[in-house]
Amino acid sequence: MVDDEKRNDILKRLSDGVVYYDEEKVIVASNEAVEDGLDPFDAIMNGLAAGMEIVGQLYEKQEYFVPEILMCADALYGGLNILRPHLKAKEMKEAVKGQVVIGVVQGDVHDIGKNLVKMMFDVAGFTVHDLGADVPLEKFAEEQVRTDSNIIALSAMMTTTMMGMKKVIHMIKERNPDVAIMVGGAPLTKEVADIFGADGYAENAGNAVQEAIKMISRLREMHAKQQLGATP
Amino acid sequence: MGGNGLNSREKVLKLLNHEEVDFIPCFSGMGNIVMDGLKKYGLQFNEVHQDARKMALAAKATPELFGYDCAIVPFDFNVCAEALGSKVQYYKTEDILYPSIPEKIIKSFEDIKLPSDPENAGRFPVVMEAIRILKKETGNDVAVGSWVLGPFTLAGQVTDLTKLLKDTFKKPNEVIQFLTPLRDLLIAEAKLYQKAGADFITVREMGTPVDLLSPRVWKSMIQPFMIKMREEIGSPVVLHICGKTNEIIHFMHECGYDAVSVEHQNDVAMSRQKIGPPPKNLLLGNLNTYKVMVEGTAENVANEVRAAIDGGVDAIWPGCDIWPGTPAENMKAMVETTREYGSKKKKGG
Ligand code: B12
Repeated sequence: MVDDEKRNDILKRLSDGVVYYDEEKVIVASNEAVEDGLDPFDAIMNGLAAGMEIVGQLYEKQEYFVPEILMCADALYGGLNILRPHLKAKEMKEAVKGQVVIGVVQGDVHDIGKNLVKMMFDVAGFTVHDLGADVPLEKFAEEQVRTDSNIIALSAMMTTTMMGMKKVIHMIKERNPDVAIMVGGAPLTKEVADIFGADGYAENAGNAVQEAIKMISRLREMHAKQQLGATP
Repeated sequence: MGGNGLNSREKVLKLLNHEEVDFIPCFSGMGNIVMDGLKKYGLQFNEVHQDARKMALAAKATPELFGYDCAIVPFDFNVCAEALGSKVQYYKTEDILYPSIPEKIIKSFEDIKLPSDPENAGRFPVVMEAIRILKKETGNDVAVGSWVLGPFTLAGQVTDLTKLLKDTFKKPNEVIQFLTPLRDLLIAEAKLYQKAGADFITVREMGTPVDLLSPRVWKSMIQPFMIKMREEIGSPVVLHICGKTNEIIHFMHECGYDAVSVEHQNDVAMSRQKIGPPPKNLLLGNLNTYKVMVEGTAENVANEVRAAIDGGVDAIWPGCDIWPGTPAENMKAMVETTREYGSKKKKGG
């Protein structure tokens, strides 16, 4: 077990390593966390993810730009790869909220934003199936079935390609209404997401995961109510 | 109305030639096709990218229908990548889907293979032929323009962009090595279009706004490439970047292009101050091609045109390719408001 002082020290090094894109530092601190028996879930959430939150703020303030974020992401993945295998079954359950199929819809090659959203899901412990960019619309439905994922995250940066999302949502919901679908990208708004029949929308990568979790619980509630209604 | 007796082409060229003018033209160096124009010639969006005749018709329909001051080819981003060996996917659907490149074929500098005969590489000859057709059929009246990408944006089309972005920090020298042959091919491309008769060229380094790269990296890494392209291509040549550019507009201006072009996220009044007055320093912009031009009303468009003119632009210029779904009323409002408000403003001083 680790005392508070040691814990804080490791968490700070994990966070700093992510913020200053120092992959080596993150790896050393992660190994130390494992050796000293620091709760890996604690290390991921309050070390790595906390660092990424600061990175997000620096990007907002235009102190960091996309290359910096991508390097921070590498540092973060360096830590995740070490810490994740040590999560216990119980923590896995807490951490692994599900599986996500993510991709940029057909005709659209803008994938920088999608990659950032993907990373947030990785940090939060989701298993992510990344289909890349310019993804044929049927592919999302196929991949959902193949992986039995409970979340689909669709990205589009153009107003025309955005229309493809509506088709994907329809295709998937028709087969499996329980899948939670979220959409994002610069041309989208909450209103458009609603019109398309999406279950969730987030403006940026930072909010994407929280919104995904909310979205799933909304769907669960709805489901529970429907079942109540069905059995008198 | 300003520009007494001058036709569209003469207005555009006088402006880009840095003469004192009493009008504000309405044109751009980027794609200008609209559905009404396609309809006029019985064309589908997906058939205008590979056929010179259809490409030219799609481009010239816009000035014909709306009095826009230019006709521009091509419309998609993949012409140079294709000449480098990338396979381009052309969609068959009726939706407006721009062609795209499904697979990034170039992994490193060693994989770059420049075409031995650029004049016959990929679609360069198609674009050249489209320019010749435009020159012949409408070139006395409207400005015929073409454009090339900048090397960083082209690199993002042919190689892994994530790696490229990280390498701007980790291995800047390798990035520079990678971009150099791409730059030379882009210069060759621009020269082919000039040879075919283009009145002006726009260099679109749109993968490098402040949304993506820091001003510091822009200055140290991108600017030298932009300067070289400007020198080699020669006048009239415009530099365009989409996205946020207020923080780099002075660096763009330093490259010496005849004009700098920006989109709606740029505060043009601030840019005007940074780059200095016309006719030496030209600022083109900055209509929002989707939120206002497509989703807005004609009144919204007119307001944005007036705001841009009040902000000090020297031409009303959509901040990116005109979106094909732009309604006819909005196209008309753009051109008419520019004419009326522009000359009023110029007279008023
Ligand atoms: C870089 C860029 C490019 C690069 C893309 C490189 C790449 N691999 O991604 C290149 C040069 C290739 C390019 C090409 C084109 N582009 Co472009 N491009 C841009 C630009 C400048 C920046 C986009 C970006 O990466 N931003 C940074 C990232 C971090 O932000 P983001 O993508 O918004 O993502 C955040 C959120 O949106 C959200 N999010 C994103 N996805 C998701 C998904 C989910 C589920 C959730 C919850 C959240 C979420 O979270 C992200 C992180 O916080 C924008 C202008 C702009 N400022 O938006 C134009 C822009 C998107 N492009 C545009 C256009 C028109 C094109 C072209 C059609 C031009 C042409 N004539 O060919 C081509 C399209 C090619 C194609 N078939 O897709 C237009 C789109 C207009 C419209 N509204 O439809 C824009 C808006 C420019 C403009 N002013 O008109 N482009």
